[in-house]
Amino acid sequence: MNSDRLFTRFAIGINAAWLTLFALVPIILILIVSFLKPDPNFFVLMHFSPRSYLTLINPIYLKVFARSLLLALITAGCCLCIGYPFAFILAQLKTRFKPLLLLLVIIPFWTSSLLRSYAMVILLEAHGILNSFLLRWHIISQPLHLLYTNTAVLIGLVYCLLPFMILPLYANIEKLDLRLIEAARDLGASHLQAFGKVIIPLTLPGIISGTVLVLLPAMTLFYIPDLLGGAKSLLLGNLIQMQFLYTGNWPQGSAVSIALTVLMSLLLLLYLRLIPKAQRSQPL
Amino acid sequence: MKKSICHLPLKLLHNAVIARSATTKQSRKKFLDSAVKPRNDGSRLLRCARNDGLIKFLILFLFSFLFIPISVQAANVVNVYNWSGYIPEKVLQLFTKQTGITVNYSTFDSNQELYAKLKASPNAGYDVIVPSANFVTKMRDQHMLQPLDKSKIPNLKNLNPWLMNRSFDPHNRYSIPYLWGTTAIIINTKYYPHVDITSWQQLWNKKFRDQLLLLNSAREVFAVALKSLGYSLNDTNPQHLRQAYQKLIKLLPNIKLFNGEASQTIFMDEDAMIGIILNGDAYLAQQQNPNLRYIFPREGVNIWIDNIAIPKNAPHLKNAYRFINFLLQPKIAKMIALDMHYSSPNLAAIRLMPKNIRDNHILYPTKAELKHSEFQRDVGAANHLYQHYWALLKING
Repeated sequence: MNSDRLFTRFAIGINAAWLTLFALVPIILILIVSFLKPDPNFFVLMHFSPRSYLTLINPIYLKVFARSLLLALITAGCCLCIGYPFAFILAQLKTRFKPLLLLLVIIPFWTSSLLRSYAMVILLEAHGILNSFLLRWHIISQPLHLLYTNTAVLIGLVYCLLPFMILPLYANIEKLDLRLIEAARDLGASHLQAFGKVIIPLTLPGIISGTVLVLLPAMTLFYIPDLLGGAKSLLLGNLIQMQFLYTGNWPQGSAVSIALTVLMSLLLLLYLRLIPKAQRSQPL
Repeated sequence: MKKSICHLPLKLLHNAVIARSATTKQSRKKFLDSAVKPRNDGSRLLRCARNDGLIKFLILFLFSFLFIPISVQAANVVNVYNWSGYIPEKVLQLFTKQTGITVNYSTFDSNQELYAKLKASPNAGYDVIVPSANFVTKMRDQHMLQPLDKSKIPNLKNLNPWLMNRSFDPHNRYSIPYLWGTTAIIINTKYYPHVDITSWQQLWNKKFRDQLLLLNSAREVFAVALKSLGYSLNDTNPQHLRQAYQKLIKLLPNIKLFNGEASQTIFMDEDAMIGIILNGDAYLAQQQNPNLRYIFPREGVNIWIDNIAIPKNAPHLKNAYRFINFLLQPKIAKMIALDMHYSSPNLAAIRLMPKNIRDNHILYPTKAELKHSEFQRDVGAANHLYQHYWALLKING
């Protein structure tokens, strides 16, 4: 039908225009700026210079990259340890409450993660909910000073990103054929062997996609270290913000952003390589 | 604002802003009218739409909003760009009531944000801005401000001469003080009953390991190190800045966190026991937690002033002067200072305040307490060095 085609074109056109204007153009601008010279008074000088990228090799920047990556890896590890058993149990449950339980995993997404991080402050502070509870039940005698420590940052990140780990794992484990485990047991494998040699390899796609999904945001959720960790150590997100707002070095900030984009693309590429096409078609 | 063509959704947004900032009854009513009207039209049109094409129709209908140009009435306004939460709502309402001028109030969270905004769009349309002293110098030097016509601000006579004609803006050609304050040490005497702090140097003491709260600002943190080394907090000597940086590296084990906006609550709730704080925050925290003490170290502290200025290209100059003069009225200045809990530069306003406020040393310190203290100034090209070392410090943290 003619009107249908018109509508299709219109809908696609609007989307394409939107993405071009607000995603593609800004990225191209960032790319251009990253190759210009900084100027404290007019933001950038119109001179080509690869200097911003050469400074990235500076040990200082590498240290921030390494620190962000380490924090992200620890977060992903914690999410995996908590998320895997949970997803496994959830997938094996045979109850009509299963959809409800899945919904509970998703519900936190209905609130902004920034807001939830502020809520974590109230939970963890010296006169906060956690401490009053522990003091009330005489589990501790002095309030725990959890807030503004690395532990608090880790708690915040794991809390925020756990659903990103659980959902792909769940999608993967649900398809797991339990008879394979029975077969492994019949053939003399111990519980541990069955787990290591059958279950883990079969759920590897879920593990990898969950890890990638947690790793990427954990590198850049700068407000969680800011709010819960006390802004003591710089992460990639903070570094970019600092270059733009405080140092006034737009090319440098742009170069860090571009480097981060490239790093994330590489991680995604790795994900596409590691997981065969057939297994990738799970709803993510 | 000039008579301009603007799209309907933008107008709704614009009205929403007005309704939020200067909540006069008329503007609220206008907001409700304009918000309700299209919805009525919509439901009438919807009934006409056939069921099968409903979704399509809805989408097209929503998009059609983008292309309906309607004209906005020319209005008598003043566009104020100030720190968030830095003026009582009531003051804005009073101004509109007295003069009939609507205040469009927008906010920023840092001087850098204000500077970047005005630099990126010099015709942003702001009439009154409130930069801190160092940014007054910086913006003046880059011709972003216009000289003030003092004859249009008769209430200038109310201001404290001690805060006027300072080196960041000689003869107050471009700016006048709005609020001022100090940055000094705060300590919780419940946790440290026998500690007598008299010097910045004592922050390096090993017993404060992982206890300090420092402000999340390069200049404030470097002021601590520079002062304890005996230098000026406006020092630009690269050698001295390097020494200050090395000194701060030694302070890192004692630092628990950097925070600017929530320091009052953090000290009040005892999530940090010692640190540096703005006097207004210290005052509020102490009201809630009497264990807190605000201390002026003997090397002197940082005195900051936030100033009213008019940017170049301000479109409503006449209204800007009326607004500024209004802010300097004793009653209004008193209202602002009491609500914001910072120190007022307005002597006539201070005289109207209750005695316990006038005598409060956190808000109105004596000359002796401010001995060796300095006004924070723009450090020009050295600012780059400050930011460089600041980034290094954070990376090492």
